[in-house]
Amino acid sequence: MSLKRMVVILVGFYCLMGVMPLFFGGTDYIMNILIMILIWAVVASCWDVIMGFAGIFSFGQVAFYVVGAYASAILSVSLHVPPVYAILLAAVITGLFGVLVGLPCLKLAGPYVALVTFAVHMTLVPFLRGPMGRAIGSGGAQGILTVPPVSLFGMTFSSEHLVPFFYLTLFLTIICTIILVLVIKSYWGTAFLALKDSENFAASLGISAFKYKLMVFGLTSFITGLFGALYAHYVGMLSTRMLSMDVFTILMIMIVIGGIGKYPGVVVGAVITVTLNQFLAPMGMYRPLIMGAIVVVLVLFLRDGLVNPIIRLISSRQKAGRTGEYLS
Amino acid sequence: MFLEIVDVFISGLINGSVYALMAVGLTLVYGVTKAFNFAYGSFYNLGGYFAWLLLIPLTVVGGYYSVFFLAVPFFFIVGYLLEKVLIAPLRKYDDWEMKVMMLTLGLSLFMDFGYQSVFGPRIKSLPSIIDGTVEIGKVVLFQQDIVIFILSVSGMLCFGWVLNNTRTGMAVQAVAQNPAGAQIVGIPKDFIFAATFAISTIMVGFGGILLCQKNFVDPMGSTDIMIKAWVITAFGGMGSIRGSLYAAFILGMLEAFVGWYFGMIHVQIATLTLLLVTLAIRPQGLMGRE
Repeated sequence: MSLKRMVVILVGFYCLMGVMPLFFGGTDYIMNILIMILIWAVVASCWDVIMGFAGIFSFGQVAFYVVGAYASAILSVSLHVPPVYAILLAAVITGLFGVLVGLPCLKLAGPYVALVTFAVHMTLVPFLRGPMGRAIGSGGAQGILTVPPVSLFGMTFSSEHLVPFFYLTLFLTIICTIILVLVIKSYWGTAFLALKDSENFAASLGISAFKYKLMVFGLTSFITGLFGALYAHYVGMLSTRMLSMDVFTILMIMIVIGGIGKYPGVVVGAVITVTLNQFLAPMGMYRPLIMGAIVVVLVLFLRDGLVNPIIRLISSRQKAGRTGEYLS
Repeated sequence: MFLEIVDVFISGLINGSVYALMAVGLTLVYGVTKAFNFAYGSFYNLGGYFAWLLLIPLTVVGGYYSVFFLAVPFFFIVGYLLEKVLIAPLRKYDDWEMKVMMLTLGLSLFMDFGYQSVFGPRIKSLPSIIDGTVEIGKVVLFQQDIVIFILSVSGMLCFGWVLNNTRTGMAVQAVAQNPAGAQIVGIPKDFIFAATFAISTIMVGFGGILLCQKNFVDPMGSTDIMIKAWVITAFGGMGSIRGSLYAAFILGMLEAFVGWYFGMIHVQIATLTLLLVTLAIRPQGLMGRE
């Protein structure tokens, strides 16, 4: 997708999100959905960058998110670090963790990477619930119940005042989105695509797979960890239920709706999926059932995601219109 | 102390034999079709529920004999249809491997919560296949364990026989070695893909029927089994049947001894450490080819 169209879609989306509190500022229910859309949009974008652009089958995205959340919560609860620094530190920790996970993945072929990263996800549950997790302050099966809210410049951004928190999230979201777009459209992004298409050929052109793969792991896990940490201070309590499969599935629906490797599509995917998830919430036990079925159906029938074909339709109509003018 | 170790060893051996049965099925399906099945654990649970449904509410005549007899066609049809309906249409895409992973992950969630909504969230226990014990010296063996071991080993031998001596088995091997070449000599590739998937479903379903007698049918336990089966396959070398046999017994032992010595909560961590270390040192696995 061209840079111009990407920027148009993203600017339009974030401007729209930016004015939303003017209409829904009083309704906590909708504000909560909007905040979750912003957070998930970035997390899903990171997944798209690592999977769609760099072609690494990383299934550890939720794991990075949870590592960020827990790291920040443990830092601020057990070590009394002010939340702002805790969030930044947690992002750095998650970035390092991402590089660590990325290291064994360098030598491995596609499905093995999925297995290793998914295994990391699965190990986090017994780790955080078990004695090792309790030793570092994860609170075991109960989780961490009192994560302090972020306070910055004398203002407190907590779940009681949703509008300020929304704008804080929006601010961070926009910064991270700019970073991601710059990466995708820079030399790095081209290198990722080259590595995805043919690793040997890319290597012959002097693109170091080692460097770029570790970089993409580090970058995406850093941003994911940042938003995980932000989420921890937003909801104020954490438990290992964040690692359950339905969270992973929600993320997967976003990327399937958006299209793998069709970058801004995943942002729209996040909007649709988070809203859908909220509407399905009263279904209780049937919600994951429906989510699973949705994944199966969408993967089967959506080749490029939902967003990309629509954009193509619009642009082809525009082009047709233009040629029409030219002919007349 | 010594007797305890013998007990742990036997439990590792029994678990290992069933894991071997399941992992061989998984490695076969990966070796032949290159499809990464994330819903494997859910088929294990399907086996458990299949046996439970026939034995407890329906009280089928013949007990476990009829369960095994009915399980073969049932799982073959389930596996065959799933491959034809869900996985085969994806093969035409470039990034179909990723799509298969996503689809099977969604499928596993669907199946797990499907079991929960149909059978309820509580775990179910299966009656043991045979009661009674055998004493060898001071060691007490459950006859159930012996039967499970014999059944899973004979299941594997049976599978090996099918693979090496029947036309279908040889066609499966041909497709695994060179799909295009196999197609040129007239082997129906699509049928072989579906049949392989179906055979692996039968094997994991049998694993479920056998192991759920000891471990209960837990609707949420499928990811655990899936990870185990995948770890064994990766550890043994993807596509290498002998490698996954060894790996299954090693993992069964590791699990039994770590669970006994350190506690069950460390089992998963130990398993995954083993996986990571193996992949870091020998990315192709124990017996895998480069």
